[in-house]
Amino acid sequence: MSFLIAQSLINGVILGTLYLMMAIGFTLVFGIMRIVNFAHGEFYMIGAFMALIGVTWLGLPYAATLALTVVFAVLLGALVERVVFRPFRSDELSGMIASLGLAMILQNGALIFFGPDPQAFPAMVSGVLRFGDLIIPKSRALTLGIGVVVLIGFYVLLMHTRFGRGLRALVQDQQVAALYGVRLEIMYPLGLGLGIALAAVAGALMAPLFGVSPFIGAAPLLKAFIVVILGGLGSIPGAALAALLLGLIESFTSSFVSASAADIVTFALVVAVLLIRPSGILGRGEA
Amino acid sequence: MSDTSVTSPPKRAGLGSLGFALCVALLALVPWFTGSVFHFHIAIMVCLGAMAAAGLATIAWVGQLSLAHGAFVGIGAYTCVLLVTRLDMPFLVGLPAAAVFSGAVAYIIGTPLLRLRGVYFVLITFALNELFRLVMLEFPSVSGGSSGIAGIPKISLFGWELRDQSQVYVFTLLMLAAVMALLWTIRRGPLGRWFSAVEENMALAESSGIPTARTQNMAFVIGSGIAGFTGAIMAHYIGFISPVTFAFQLSVSYVIILVVGGRLALAGPLVGALFLVPLPEFLRSAQEYQHIIYGVVLIIVLRFLPAGLTALPGKLSQWRRSGE
Repeated sequence: MSFLIAQSLINGVILGTLYLMMAIGFTLVFGIMRIVNFAHGEFYMIGAFMALIGVTWLGLPYAATLALTVVFAVLLGALVERVVFRPFRSDELSGMIASLGLAMILQNGALIFFGPDPQAFPAMVSGVLRFGDLIIPKSRALTLGIGVVVLIGFYVLLMHTRFGRGLRALVQDQQVAALYGVRLEIMYPLGLGLGIALAAVAGALMAPLFGVSPFIGAAPLLKAFIVVILGGLGSIPGAALAALLLGLIESFTSSFVSASAADIVTFALVVAVLLIRPSGILGRGEA
Repeated sequence: MSDTSVTSPPKRAGLGSLGFALCVALLALVPWFTGSVFHFHIAIMVCLGAMAAAGLATIAWVGQLSLAHGAFVGIGAYTCVLLVTRLDMPFLVGLPAAAVFSGAVAYIIGTPLLRLRGVYFVLITFALNELFRLVMLEFPSVSGGSSGIAGIPKISLFGWELRDQSQVYVFTLLMLAAVMALLWTIRRGPLGRWFSAVEENMALAESSGIPTARTQNMAFVIGSGIAGFTGAIMAHYIGFISPVTFAFQLSVSYVIILVVGGRLALAGPLVGALFLVPLPEFLRSAQEYQHIIYGVVLIIVLRFLPAGLTALPGKLSQWRRSGE
């Protein structure tokens, strides 16, 4: 029994890390641009395809592929900001509806380009790590390890650089930030690019575990939604707490009850939190 | 909705409206000119899309955007189908029951839900739509599970079964006309003024003595009831439903119809459905691009015509004047 609990705990943490990568990018985009980005999951999908192209078509090493994915995603984000989102900066609802359209374009674009069938991704590592009774497949450990490194890197960028300070200032108050010399014309595209890059890296990291297809974006988008609603839109500490919580709830409910029960429990939780405390567990009161 | 460039319903109901009504009437007759079963099918789908979007429009008139509209269509569809197949009720009992039950569900969840505004309301309705799908999948004895319910009997009125597409079309067209007439009456009456007051400025409406919470809930109940009504007709026309039929995608398609047509205009849902539902048929050769085109149309309309296609004639004459 205690073995099952420990195993669920580890699985929950792995899930939580990945949900966190999705949710931070999502909540960052909302914080900076006030856009609820329904296309966020499609950037996860694009990241996974980038990894597939890099590793199998071009034969690049996994690390180089990940780096390229980040660069490509930031550029893509800047482009999307310019072409799609820029006119809707002050209009939350229109921006959100536009992101629905963007999601359709990206998903069906991938469908035309890559076809509907799931594609296998070569395993990056094989074998398992053993700690006593606990078993962790090395592929999952690798994903977890890189995920944690990316998250720490992002944290440092956000908290200890000039650029990060500018982003945080924008989240707090756009006008005051602009008055103090934060350059909106650079920060908006880069902020969106960074948020999208986190989703793309999550996709590239998950590709070896779950395979790649044009439809893989829906589930992570849903998780990102749940996490940011629980944690509070625009709140990064809230997202961190909620992502871990969600990972653990899912892993424990599906170990001890069933997978579909896990989904229903989390959605009921989301509805309850939205009704009782719409600004989320750690969010600022604004709803 | 925060869109300020949108004007309230145009008062000059003169030549423009008459011309529009004439165009719609002519378009409605097209299937009879061609006589093709396929065109009748498209026409029925246009009517159903317009009807559901009209329900969504009612909710939009108080400034809220629901992403749970597909679920309410589903609630109505399941209500009617279960009444007809399990309890042997006639369709004409199931149809109003579907509208009433959807409306009742909206009434119960509306009060706590509508405290949320803007994107928060969108998010919770999104979560509820997902919850509806998951819960229905959990109860296959009711919903048929992921394989759904097939072989739903055709629409029958007083024992007279509508076998032909053209008969179904006449029925659907009449129902759509009834729904539009209901909305037209609401907009002209005191309730319509409350709706637009709440949409334009909630605080001002509240301080002018309008019960804003009750007004919003009323719009939500009417809109969701119309969704349930549509669902019942849709289920008996298509003959198959499953929880997946009413997933997120359906809700999104209604949002697209409404936004492209015009969020605040009475004719918005009609124009949106007339433009978007037949669109894939004209693009037969490029069918795989259909959804991409939907997405592009949505973004372009949002960007350049935030009040939807119904605002296009006004915009055009504005451009012409400024061009002189």
